[in-house]
Amino acid sequence: MLFVRKNIMAFTGLFLCIFLVVHLGGNLILLLPSETAHGLYNSYSAKLGGNIFIRVVSIFLYLSILLHTVYAALITSKNNKSKGKKYLVNHTIESSSWTSQNMGLLGFSILIFILIHLSNFWWRVKLGYGEIVPLDSNGLKDVYLITTELFKNPYYVFIYVIFIIPLSMHIKHGFSSAFKTLGLYNLNYIRKVSIIGNMFSIIILIGFSVIPVAVYLRGL
Amino acid sequence: MRVTFKIWRQESNSDDGRFVEYEVDNISEEMSFLEALDSLNESLVQQGKGVIAFDHDCREGICGQCGVFINGRANGPHSNTTTCQLHMRSFKEGEVIVVEPWRAKAFPVIKDLVVDRSSFDRIIQSGGFITAKTGTAPEANSILVGKDIADSAMDMAACIGCGACVATCKNSSAALFTSAKINHLNILPQGKTESSKRVLEMTERMELEDFGHCSFTGACEIECPENISISNIAKMNFDLLKAKLFKG
Ligand code: HEM
Ligand code: FES
Repeated sequence: MLFVRKNIMAFTGLFLCIFLVVHLGGNLILLLPSETAHGLYNSYSAKLGGNIFIRVVSIFLYLSILLHTVYAALITSKNNKSKGKKYLVNHTIESSSWTSQNMGLLGFSILIFILIHLSNFWWRVKLGYGEIVPLDSNGLKDVYLITTELFKNPYYVFIYVIFIIPLSMHIKHGFSSAFKTLGLYNLNYIRKVSIIGNMFSIIILIGFSVIPVAVYLRGL
Repeated sequence: MRVTFKIWRQESNSDDGRFVEYEVDNISEEMSFLEALDSLNESLVQQGKGVIAFDHDCREGICGQCGVFINGRANGPHSNTTTCQLHMRSFKEGEVIVVEPWRAKAFPVIKDLVVDRSSFDRIIQSGGFITAKTGTAPEANSILVGKDIADSAMDMAACIGCGACVATCKNSSAALFTSAKINHLNILPQGKTESSKRVLEMTERMELEDFGHCSFTGACEIECPENISISNIAKMNFDLLKAKLFKG
């Protein structure tokens, strides 16, 4: 079971990483001048929603988040059960990073953020709850408007920027850890993968925090 | 030099245990940490008190008996060393030195600082060997082994089973130990034939013994007295994945 569990964690984790690349890529449209961004963003969003391939992938995405969370809970509980008494003095932070020791805590913060994020967009646009989504001049759902409206609120800008930090940290450790879990053992490759993971986590951090700030500043 | 030892005392596994402080002032910087404990024990004998139980044997860093948790680190403040190789010069005058046994569910305390590491023995018994006829030693050159393979097998076989990896791991995982014990055989021609069976059985035993998952924090390879690399765990995962997928 140890084996199955960790492999599921690694697979779903890496799948979520791939999703983040696509998600960031699409959202970079928001950084374009607003006239261009408006139409482009709405048609991008409509295409995503209409594409059967994307629909199938998004089912995998929801499933991944679910499995990743369920297995995170299973793994963390097994780990806690394996521990003995707590050490009176524990400086194991000198021999490993805080991030690597707190993947569960970081993951839990991400989960909270995912819920906030879904309630902001997915809930309204996809499921049709709450205020009706207005249409743009091309008759498409005006997701651009919803997004820019949301980031007029400085509290939301703050939340979106702050919660990217645990995500970035989680990836910094998780990316290379996943490869090792899946059996990448050549030291040279391990080193390269952790460099890629570090760069990836920085790109995610900068990319996702610049977007809400830029949208906010433009809306002032 | 004068130091205060704050040591975990526990009569037996059923006893609750507690910390007891001992001030000592007859310690020299040249003493090894274990000699300082010896000297403390001698004075306890003179006072008619029970001595502090701790494991040790070779006192030269090769048997893996001596590990304890000192001031929050496995085997004390230095990386990649055993407790017996630690000297009192690594501590400051007047320092309080907290000494605790390895903590893990799979390592129950026997007495004071001595823990039961037979869970490690059972992992080895489940597959950490090769099946071969006993008798006179076979001709050494009948199975040729490349120097790089031999060196790498020796690096992994260097594991002395001290348990520092488990003690320092936030999950009490035995992944570093188990992977070293699997890989040093799996990499050699003598061990290859039974490699799938070995990795399946030893990892299964590891789980049954109540060790946790590996989160790749890397703490184990920093504390390992033998510098066993964490890439061994990845190799074990690779062999395990292969064995599970192509079990046939
Ligand atoms: C987009 C979001 C997420 C991404 C990209 C992601 C990615 C990853 C990756 C790549 C790993 C490494 C797997 C391994 O070590 O084999 C991992 C581990 C982990 N994740 Fe996530 N994760 C995400 C969300 C979450 C959430 C929501 C939770 C919890 C509620 C979570 C909890 C964990 C835990 C506990 C581990 C560590 C398992 C261990 O200790 O080995 N993650 N994650
Ligand atoms: S007593 Fe043998 S390794 Fe320390």
